[in-house]
Amino acid sequence: MSRKKSGVGRGMTFAARRAIAGRLFLLPWIIGFVYFFLIPFIQGIVYTLNKLSFTANGVALDFVGFANYKKLISDLDFLKVLANALIEMFPRVIIIVFFSLFVALILRGEYRGRTLARAVFFLPVIISSGVVITVLQENVMGTNLSGKESAYLFQAASFETLLSGIGLSDQMLAAFTDIINRLFDLSWKSGVQILLLLAAVNNIPRSHYEAAVIEGATEWEKFWKITFPTVSPTLLVTVIYTVIDSFTDYSNSVMRMIEEKLGLGYYEYSSTMAFVYFLCVLVIIGVVGGLISRKVFYQSE
Amino acid sequence: MRNLVTGVKSPPSGRSGGLQKEKLSVKAMGFVKILLRTLFLLGMGYVMLYPILFALSGAFKARVDVYDPTVIWLPKHYSMEAMNLAMKSLKFWDALKQTLIILIPSVCLQMISTLMAGYAFARFKFRERGILFAGLIFTIIVPVQNLIVPLYANFQSFDMFGLGYLYSLFSGSSLPNLLNTPFPFYLMAAFGMGIRSGLYIFIMRQFFRNMPPELEEAALIDGCGSVRTFIRVMLPNVKPAIVTVLVFSVVWYWNDYYQAAMFLMDNQTLSVNLTTLNGMLDITAGNIGSLTSQDVMLLRDGVLECGCLLVMLPLLIMYILLQRQFTESIERTGIVG
Repeated sequence: MSRKKSGVGRGMTFAARRAIAGRLFLLPWIIGFVYFFLIPFIQGIVYTLNKLSFTANGVALDFVGFANYKKLISDLDFLKVLANALIEMFPRVIIIVFFSLFVALILRGEYRGRTLARAVFFLPVIISSGVVITVLQENVMGTNLSGKESAYLFQAASFETLLSGIGLSDQMLAAFTDIINRLFDLSWKSGVQILLLLAAVNNIPRSHYEAAVIEGATEWEKFWKITFPTVSPTLLVTVIYTVIDSFTDYSNSVMRMIEEKLGLGYYEYSSTMAFVYFLCVLVIIGVVGGLISRKVFYQSE
Repeated sequence: MRNLVTGVKSPPSGRSGGLQKEKLSVKAMGFVKILLRTLFLLGMGYVMLYPILFALSGAFKARVDVYDPTVIWLPKHYSMEAMNLAMKSLKFWDALKQTLIILIPSVCLQMISTLMAGYAFARFKFRERGILFAGLIFTIIVPVQNLIVPLYANFQSFDMFGLGYLYSLFSGSSLPNLLNTPFPFYLMAAFGMGIRSGLYIFIMRQFFRNMPPELEEAALIDGCGSVRTFIRVMLPNVKPAIVTVLVFSVVWYWNDYYQAAMFLMDNQTLSVNLTTLNGMLDITAGNIGSLTSQDVMLLRDGVLECGCLLVMLPLLIMYILLQRQFTESIERTGIVG
């Protein structure tokens, strides 16, 4: 309205006026994108080629070429942690995504107590963006300073006695305990994923299932022929979200290392680590995303 | 939806006897399904609530109970000793104040900026939109750890497109140092680069895109400008998205330890203090003086549990109050790729 009166939009087509309005709406974001994202991102890459020192007048750069990268390649600690983190990411992402899909399928629909069930399952979204849960696990449940080790394995321990009663070997026991502890961990990391998938599952039209039932489809077929293809775009988003989330998490050992180096004042080295790590993850996201998006089924097409 | 989850309606069959048998088996199947689901939900509910129950059980345990093997969940003796120590070591009230000083304006600014950007991406056509959207996706993928050192340097001598230089001309000092003030948080939130802003813009965009175009067209034909259409017509209709993003935003600003640890120095937020609580406990105990190292060792777990509870509690209260709107709005948001 006001713009019309002041005459800015006069003499232009409707589409041109709309385009200007859109750019104005986006203007704050564009400024932020350039100043708080693009410039720092490029600066960060420049830093990896320099030696940094903070002075009263800002940052002093001292060009060193690829010295930081050379140091990184010979840093066995970092390479080991990096390799471990990248390898661990795969089973982790797969388990989280399938677990979330499973839970989303169970949580959908109408039944008594569903509000309560959902409230409990969304709890991780609320409290476990990292610090609280990590502190609880590492400092309290993990350490056995005061005999608390049994508390960490509380569920697993009771399982263990049960399973050893059946007569399983120690190795099998260890594997079982590991899986159970991991499940506990991962169920706490899948809050947002459950949310995403629940929304997708609820959007599947009922008529699809009704048609399938009339055609005599079993539950198994319904899942693979209807549910799975329909939520596959969301599955792609969920996979990528899980990858990103797991590599920025507070409990991630590479991130810990980067932050530790930063705290010790190795600014340029920590930037190098972060950049290399980011590149690795970008490649993973690219490959995984590329592979999955071929199989993804879009309804509108 | 009931029939989808609890059992399949039997397909129509010719003979009535077969039909009855089938009905019976379908009923039994449904029952088994309900049973299995209930068991699963109970089990998972236990896993989800376990850390909170665990922390609750340990937090008020008196020292004498720590080594008592007969005490598993409910302590025999209660004490507030650990809680008091945790409050002191966390500097709870100061840290809470600092957290809120950062959180409240940042969340408000973030809501405004992400709503505007989401609306622009969803509802306007202009040439650069595609490439800017690719930029948005890129901001979601790049973690803040990649940007933190340059951001730190830039906030130390703040000069946003010459604005800091102008300021220094007028005040006669050097470029303003924004570190150790809440302004880095406010500025980044206001310009759509707050914590996880990219994700929220994406959610908002998805939601605005799903709105019927007739709504907007009608408003425009009636002579509403773009801004008025946005505020009067669009905003009231995206309430579910607003609730979702609001809850996320509060949660992530509350739990953020990384940016706060970088941009602030002496007066820290609650989450940052929680990460250092283990070390702070020794200092607090040393200051009190009456506690031996043996006592501290016995109390340590309890104090850490209290710390976790204290940090979780405000979010839990918010969640319990907003729980219904949150879960319902999330189902309607339809965040899909």
